[in-house]
Amino acid sequence: MKIKVWGARGSVPAPGPEMNRYGGNTSCVQLDLSDGSALIIDAGTGIRTLGVGIAQNPSHINILLTHLHLDHIQGLMFFAPCFQAGSQITIWGPSSPEASLEERIARYISAPLSPVEVRELPCAVDFRDTPASEWEIGPAKIRAEAVTHRGPTLGYRITDGAQSLTYISDHEPGLGAPLDSLEPEWISGFDLARETDLLIHDCQYTDEEYPDHVGWGHSRLTDALTFARRTEAKRLMLFHHDPLHSDDFLDRFCETAKERWAELGGRNGAIEMAAETQELEVGPPSRVAAAS
Amino acid sequence: MDQKPLELILARNFLTSLSTPAFLVDQSGALIFYNEAAGAMLGISFEESGRLEASEWSRTLSPYGESGELTPIEDRAMTKALRRGRPAHGHYKIRSVRGDPFEIEASALPIVAEGGQEGAMIFFWQHGNNSRAEE
Repeated sequence: MKIKVWGARGSVPAPGPEMNRYGGNTSCVQLDLSDGSALIIDAGTGIRTLGVGIAQNPSHINILLTHLHLDHIQGLMFFAPCFQAGSQITIWGPSSPEASLEERIARYISAPLSPVEVRELPCAVDFRDTPASEWEIGPAKIRAEAVTHRGPTLGYRITDGAQSLTYISDHEPGLGAPLDSLEPEWISGFDLARETDLLIHDCQYTDEEYPDHVGWGHSRLTDALTFARRTEAKRLMLFHHDPLHSDDFLDRFCETAKERWAELGGRNGAIEMAAETQELEVGPPSRVAAAS
Repeated sequence: MDQKPLELILARNFLTSLSTPAFLVDQSGALIFYNEAAGAMLGISFEESGRLEASEWSRTLSPYGESGELTPIEDRAMTKALRRGRPAHGHYKIRSVRGDPFEIEASALPIVAEGGQEGAMIFFWQHGNNSRAEE
């Protein structure tokens, strides 16, 4: 499996010259599977750029949404395949007792927020609640589980052959929970991330920023690192960057994260900061290095 | 041990932060967590006791009425919350693990998730232990 990051920013797009290297687009990751097909995880503004390439060669597109906050769906309205009659798109997302997935997404893709309605999209689009148990798309086995965030929110574990990717973009597992000592079964998202090859995880705040944002649904650095160490994730990509964090800030934040990771006993080279357009083979660093 | 449903994880996190004595039970009635305040009331911390199956903890902590008779299981607030899926309240006497008797009020709230009921939270108020509420 290989991933490409199309948007790593959290909360709101953050364009600007001081954001160019890590990028200002919100959450979107492309996952290339072993059979040549692809999955898209989240539809933040990063999906717009991704869609330009896909529009040249449309096929059945599967989009996995973690939740319906705007920074995870805003790009749907600008995803080129949505406006092609030949496209077939399946959008997976969390269920709700309140309304169907289509009805909830239509609150965004409808007047007065949008010039078109979902029913007017020329593509064939299908909305599905994620199943309670593991399901398959092509060669991928997918598991979705609810995780600690504000509102119904999913994390995903995607397995293709012997490789696994865990994506938990919005997550506050440390809320009211001592992550370093709690039993695994009481830690939100633990099973999704257990011994995964690559964990893409929320790290919106520094430890110093976090006290002003407790309960907002996002992780501070200490909790992201502790969660990764407790779950024995082989590799960690810090994700969902705060819109106030510039490239220079994220460079320093990354160095701090690496130092803290080493102090926790983490393996050298196993941690990095997500950056827009970044591509990565899913697998432990040693295997990737050998392959290249 | 299987991962707990998120609703129970959040309930435990919530109860951990409270000074109100409280239990968390799963749908089988097993006592899967209680907070420090409940531990002080019972005379044993959760870290010491660990998870207790329904048969274990209901035998040890069985509530009883004015005349000393055990409260039938179907009349207990927790049972009503688990079996009928509705809030319930009761007034009982129980004993701590040291044998100290005390009088409590118990309010049980079912925890219902998308896939059905996952368990219940039970909050306690100990008579004679909260002068502010009695003022």
